[in-house]
Amino acid sequence: MTYKVIGKRVKRVEDPRLLTGGALFVGDVNLPNMLHAAFFRSDYAHAKIKSIDTSRAKEIPGVVGVYTAEDMGEAWEPGPPLVSPPPTLEGVVFNSRRQVPLVKDKVKHAGEIIAVVVAESRYIAEDAVEEIWVDFEPLPAVTDLEKCLEQGHTLVHDDLDTNLAAHLVQKKGDYEEAKKGADLILKRKFKLDRGAAAALENRGIVVDWDQKNQHLMVWDATQSPIPIRNGMAARLGLRTHQVRVVAPFVGGGFGPKIMMFYAEEMVLPWLTMKLNRPVKWIEDRKENFYATTQEREQVQEVEMALTKEGKILGIKQKIIHDTGAFNPYGLTTPLNTQSHSMGAYDVQNYNSELFVVFTNKTIVTPVRGAGRPQGIYIVERMLDIASKELKLDPREIRRLNFIPKDAFPYNHEIIDQAFVELVLDSGNYLPAYEKALEKIEYDKFIKEEQPRLRAEGKYVGIGVVPFIETTGVGPYEGARVAVEPSGKISAATGVGTQGQSHMTSFAQIIAEELGVEVEDVSLVSGDTAEIHWGTGTFASRGAVVAGNAVLAAASDVRIKVLKLASKILETPEDELELEGGLVKVADIPDKSISLGELAVLANPFRGAVEPGTEPGLESTKYFGPAYGATAFGVHGMILEVDPATMMIKIHKYITVEDCGTMLNPLVVEGQIHGGVSMGIGNCYYEKLHYDDNGQLLNASLADYLIPTSAEMPPIEVYHENTPAPNNKLGTKGVGEAGAIPVPAAFAQALENALLEFDLEITETPLSPNRLYELLHKQED
Amino acid sequence: MKVEGEHLFSGTQQQVWDLFRDTEVMAAALPGTKKMELIGENTYEAVMNVRVGPVAGEFSGQLVISNEDHPKSYTMTVDGRGKPGFMKGVGDVILTDQGENQTLMAYTGEVQIGGKLAAVGQRLIDTVAKSIISQAFETLNNSLAERVTAEAEGREAEYQKSSESDYAASVAKDLIKNVLKRKDDEES
Amino acid sequence: MENTFELSVTVNGTSYQKVVDPRTLLSDFLRNDLELTGTHVGCEHGVCGACTILLNGDPVRSCLLFAPQVHGQEIITVEGLGTVDDMHPLQEAFREAHALQCGFCTPGFLTTLVPWLEENPNPTEEEIREAISGNLCRCTGYQHIIDAVKLAAEKMN
Repeated sequence: MTYKVIGKRVKRVEDPRLLTGGALFVGDVNLPNMLHAAFFRSDYAHAKIKSIDTSRAKEIPGVVGVYTAEDMGEAWEPGPPLVSPPPTLEGVVFNSRRQVPLVKDKVKHAGEIIAVVVAESRYIAEDAVEEIWVDFEPLPAVTDLEKCLEQGHTLVHDDLDTNLAAHLVQKKGDYEEAKKGADLILKRKFKLDRGAAAALENRGIVVDWDQKNQHLMVWDATQSPIPIRNGMAARLGLRTHQVRVVAPFVGGGFGPKIMMFYAEEMVLPWLTMKLNRPVKWIEDRKENFYATTQEREQVQEVEMALTKEGKILGIKQKIIHDTGAFNPYGLTTPLNTQSHSMGAYDVQNYNSELFVVFTNKTIVTPVRGAGRPQGIYIVERMLDIASKELKLDPREIRRLNFIPKDAFPYNHEIIDQAFVELVLDSGNYLPAYEKALEKIEYDKFIKEEQPRLRAEGKYVGIGVVPFIETTGVGPYEGARVAVEPSGKISAATGVGTQGQSHMTSFAQIIAEELGVEVEDVSLVSGDTAEIHWGTGTFASRGAVVAGNAVLAAASDVRIKVLKLASKILETPEDELELEGGLVKVADIPDKSISLGELAVLANPFRGAVEPGTEPGLESTKYFGPAYGATAFGVHGMILEVDPATMMIKIHKYITVEDCGTMLNPLVVEGQIHGGVSMGIGNCYYEKLHYDDNGQLLNASLADYLIPTSAEMPPIEVYHENTPAPNNKLGTKGVGEAGAIPVPAAFAQALENALLEFDLEITETPLSPNRLYELLHKQED
Repeated sequence: MKVEGEHLFSGTQQQVWDLFRDTEVMAAALPGTKKMELIGENTYEAVMNVRVGPVAGEFSGQLVISNEDHPKSYTMTVDGRGKPGFMKGVGDVILTDQGENQTLMAYTGEVQIGGKLAAVGQRLIDTVAKSIISQAFETLNNSLAERVTAEAEGREAEYQKSSESDYAASVAKDLIKNVLKRKDDEES
Repeated sequence: MENTFELSVTVNGTSYQKVVDPRTLLSDFLRNDLELTGTHVGCEHGVCGACTILLNGDPVRSCLLFAPQVHGQEIITVEGLGTVDDMHPLQEAFREAHALQCGFCTPGFLTTLVPWLEENPNPTEEEIREAISGNLCRCTGYQHIIDAVKLAAEKMN
């Protein structure tokens, strides 16, 4: 398909306001009579509450109230389960435990809220928080993923007799049988650790209960306003039309802002209805480290059976996945890990046992990549180790195992996070892989550059890693498109925006269908008053699911436009064109009518609308794919290590990505750059350090290091296009792709740089200190 | 976090033992102590002002002496909480007679911290802890000398209290010393 | 309010006289008292740079200043750099190069770069990377921001 607007590098329509300080973020909402909330959070990760003394706090001038769980009475209840385990999977053990608004008896992770202060200003509220005294009985903290399942270990949840949150087994083929024919059976243990999304904007919520109108207005920095609206209405005993949730401009989501019914989201609506005044809470950075969800901690034991040529006969895996103190998000993240543990390869036999455990740490829900990086990490590491043992070129072993292009759609048979069988819909891996090797000049580096640099005393290495990404999953999204009497287009969709450029890329789709300028399309996302049905922005699905809903709605409007115009202009539909906001008769330039005029005619003040037609030029459509679209990519990097300081410098970084049809290449590149920066953070600079007491030791940006421009290399992005067969746009998601393969590529490059040290990396993230330890352990 | 070290006192083993079991002396020695009271047989209650970098506030808690092997060794357990966070520690104190009126006091222990103190104070905690301990020892040594002299002179001992500003100055001095020492290590 | 301070300050060319609680952070003063919400707060400990404003022409972290500290001084925030209809060449360059995604860190980059570009009209990529290394961005990976700065340098000369 040749498009005129889709696929073009169109400037964003949302930018002017963002650039000039005129865009509304939740923190900017300022209402008359507004109160401010601050929370008393537990320092202890695991402790019983013996008593709470809020008397001194209440006396501070300007404090309106100090509340605990007891004050909430019947309104107190844990958050709802968001995602249940897949009903399509048998034999699943699932113990659902969800977060609470205010802690009643026992604290289960550091940062849990015990009391809330409401005051005339945030400053006064924080003063009051300091005056609250809670008598704790500290308990040993559950922090070790392997030990926590042992008999007699301290329990996070007293009403369970175990720390097991979930258990399931997924099988494909017969690993034990396949293993018998192996020339090499490799076994390794991997440790992966936590990272934070650390969006620049912390969370925040403003709630305003209008007693006279019986209406609740909510501004929430969330990725899923519609489910929040639905859940809040249910919890508060209101009808859905009594609650409006707006996710305005949101300063970065990356996953944790899709977690719903955070404690604060449960407490604030209760407060505003009780006090009859607007209440605002904006998270500060320290709170963000404790109270906003995190991800990535797993321990894995992996076994891979191969022939001596390097063909993978099967993979066996045991995953222990840390879900933190609660598991509202079900099994999404570890199921993603399983879906990606076979990588881009034709693996016929797979046996994966998953344990999910509770610990006294912050709740785990998806962070960009959402379990996929862990899967890609272990499979790529195993292939690197196998290629060393079998004395094969690491490129050859990949080429041998790629799913061939005629094998699509390729069914892996296991169940993925969307509750359906993991079907990789399309792909053409080999050319993309070769392109990556060519662009990074792999051969030249290994044969010429590396030896030359080594002779100069430099340790430089290369790593190239292919990966898949499941994207564009259901259940569905919707979009409404309407032509206004002015001739401009208004549109709405339920996926919120946190920088993904929806207002522009979706406008491009509409502009393509209706022949208007992108600037004439005004798209609202994230306002429950504009559209009632939807789930949210997650799992790299906005472009695929919402984008195709936008296309369907716009196409339907186009049909209505043509039908009406055909009548008015007395010309058959197939002789009409949509261009420049007009409907023209081909070859007769004077015979035309504007979309605006048509819109007026379609909404008559008198007369009748024809039976069987809807008034106006408007359409609302939904799109729900049977299964997702599988994107593919290859990342390559050349990095240098200084063995004295252990500091690294990435000299070259290339990516080849295949996300099918691109809606806007500028946006795709931006998403990849951003994902890579997060991935690089996950390799070497970012790690959430918890001690044995469940204490977070680096809860500030001074000690949790987000890559700056100085750490980031320039990134080259190359595109391939294997269109997705199951949606009209042929598009696949790309939001998380940048972050997924980076730790695997980094490990390969680092081992390659330090070849003579014979380093084997089985953990991530690393750090200068840790690398030093690993290198010196070799010496002992 | 491991805490260990040793200090040479000018006194007999018995005198040092008595010194360490004297509440008034201990209260004066630890900088920032607002209150220290013996509330049980081997249990003290204390309130202290703690400052680690940007984190400051009042800590209150208990100190328990156990495993006494008079006059050689004992174990000390500390459990404190405050606005800046919480602290738990356990340590062993061993006294050895060095002859010539000298006693070596060796200590090893584990301290666990939590809350704001742990989250933000990490990189300073090590130095600050050592600073507190070394300043406390200096004060204790002075107290010991004063105690010995007072006994000899047949009067009441007057213990000099460790001032918070002196303590702050000494922490700053130690931090700088640390940085310079690291630079020296790098250059050598 | 028990303790107050009568603050006099010029922001984006306009003079303000306000009575404030002396411990009000400059970032909160700008955002709440003056309703100039373009300056964003990302960390309140001086690391992320989102709150950067120009104090007498120099970029500083408004989260690390108390409002009384700018008494009698001149401040420029992102709102003073340009308007929707009349953007600064740097703002236009950001748009053309897709140097912003969520836009939260953007005001801090703009205020940091505007005076820097005036002093460094022809910067290399290395120089740009160093100049912005005090501003964190989680969305863009910095690449398009660097492109935007190069583009702006061209526009401004």
